[in-house]
Amino acid sequence: MAAPGNNISSCWGVPDVYKHHEQKKICISRPKYREGRRDRAVKVYTINLESNYLMIQGVPAIGVMTELIQLCALYGAVEEYRPLDEYPAEEFTEVYLVKFQKLTSARAAKRRMDEKSFYGGVLHVCYVPEHETVEDTRLKLQDRRRYIIRAVRNKAREKEQKEAVNEKPTSSDKATTSETVVARHDKSADPDKTRNTSNICHYSGFPLLPLPPQEYHYYRHENPHGTIPTEDKMGTLHNAIIERVQSSSSYQTSLDKDRETEKRLTLNPSPAAVRFVPRTTHLENRKRRMEEAAEHSLTDVTINNEPLIGPKLPEPPKLDMEDGSLNTTVKLIRNTLKKVESVPDLKPVAKKMKPRRRI
Amino acid sequence: MWKKGSSEGSDRFEYLQTLVTEFQDTDSEEAKEQVLANLANFAYDPNNMENLRELQVPDLFLDMLTEENANFVEFGMGGLCNLSMDPECRDVILQSNGISLVTNCLSNQREETVLSAITTLMNLTTTSSHAEITDPAILQCMLRFSLSESPRLRNLAAVFLKDCCNQEQVARAEQQMQGQQTAVGIPLPKD
Repeated sequence: MAAPGNNISSCWGVPDVYKHHEQKKICISRPKYREGRRDRAVKVYTINLESNYLMIQGVPAIGVMTELIQLCALYGAVEEYRPLDEYPAEEFTEVYLVKFQKLTSARAAKRRMDEKSFYGGVLHVCYVPEHETVEDTRLKLQDRRRYIIRAVRNKAREKEQKEAVNEKPTSSDKATTSETVVARHDKSADPDKTRNTSNICHYSGFPLLPLPPQEYHYYRHENPHGTIPTEDKMGTLHNAIIERVQSSSSYQTSLDKDRETEKRLTLNPSPAAVRFVPRTTHLENRKRRMEEAAEHSLTDVTINNEPLIGPKLPEPPKLDMEDGSLNTTVKLIRNTLKKVESVPDLKPVAKKMKPRRRI
Repeated sequence: MWKKGSSEGSDRFEYLQTLVTEFQDTDSEEAKEQVLANLANFAYDPNNMENLRELQVPDLFLDMLTEENANFVEFGMGGLCNLSMDPECRDVILQSNGISLVTNCLSNQREETVLSAITTLMNLTTTSSHAEITDPAILQCMLRFSLSESPRLRNLAAVFLKDCCNQEQVARAEQQMQGQQTAVGIPLPKD
């Protein structure tokens, strides 16, 4: 058995070039219905491929390490970083290794930074799980398992709740016990989750803005359900999603929104009884419906978006990270986000009523 | 198409069903690979677990493990790695005699496939499956992996040996290995 000590010392050792660092060839032969928003290679993501450790290639060698780490910090607390001088880099570029505190942050950073230009270079960001220690790997797997169990459980509970609501649609409207509130949050987050993985949307009209900092997880420990939507958002890293800055509404507004969602759900009881259909007919139906949907979708957009916006930030984050350097990072992130948010909102109609995010 | 906000899970179900159907109907290896990778990635999202179970995707993935096409095996194994995180899917896989199929993947030439197999075996460990998963042959394999050049393989095998079996079992497997003196059995993956 490998001594853990060995691995710790090798954690920041001389890097090797592994196959999974390479950018795979984009697949161009997908039929329309399987096309994603972004061109992607044929590749299966598992937890083994993910990591808190990211390698960032293609950083122009013009002394922009601070800027790079600041950019990374937008997506979550950076625990360690260093240039990988030994790693083969293209001329005039540098390679960096960045360890995020949370896997969710690394995911967000990878998704938002990969193939983005940075001081004249184009970044290539990939996970480097080979830099993990045994303990890192172990925790990563444990977290993932726990998260799945929690998510599946929540989903089951949500389903029960939905059934209950369908039986007596009015009575629950008044209920404000914490449990119902939680359930609504999950539900309203659902469309977003679904969208993340759907991988088949052709919209690109939303402003592409970075994720809010992932430290929210810490602040919201006392409300484990609240963290679900955010975490789940990350749960599907491989599928393009269009993030928008979730303009935070007050708690009450978000509740109202949720109620609307709930009403809609109640009005359209889900046709859960769909079963297998003969294949050819099914494909034709599918095609027809997709065409119809394309027509409707434009008018549906505003309604669709509503439940996504509110409940993601149930409470304003607390300030103290109980660590001086973390507090500095948080402040930096907040300031940057403020700047980012000053970009004019492209969809004022849908979001008019909501106050801007308070950082 | 996430029309109507996709709050209805049935849309997703139909989409996944379309994928499964295409996988079964198409003769193109390439299309099969793409769809298989699609399904395996959908298995990453806990929201899809129920639908995938209903569509018998766990069995579809298990079927792939004995294919000749190495991509099929890799993607199927990846899908199982994702699915097996969910306790209900885990039980389905166990019922379909998944352990032996997954164990065979430990000797696969591709590192990614082997890594998925190790993680899957860890996920499949329950009180009733424990004995089968901590079979001396598997432990010896993990011991060999834990000496591998590849840090990912080494780490994952170390986690397995730490979390999935007790130290006595490890010690016994180590002894048996020394008795053999030769590196018979499972070759290390190439890449």
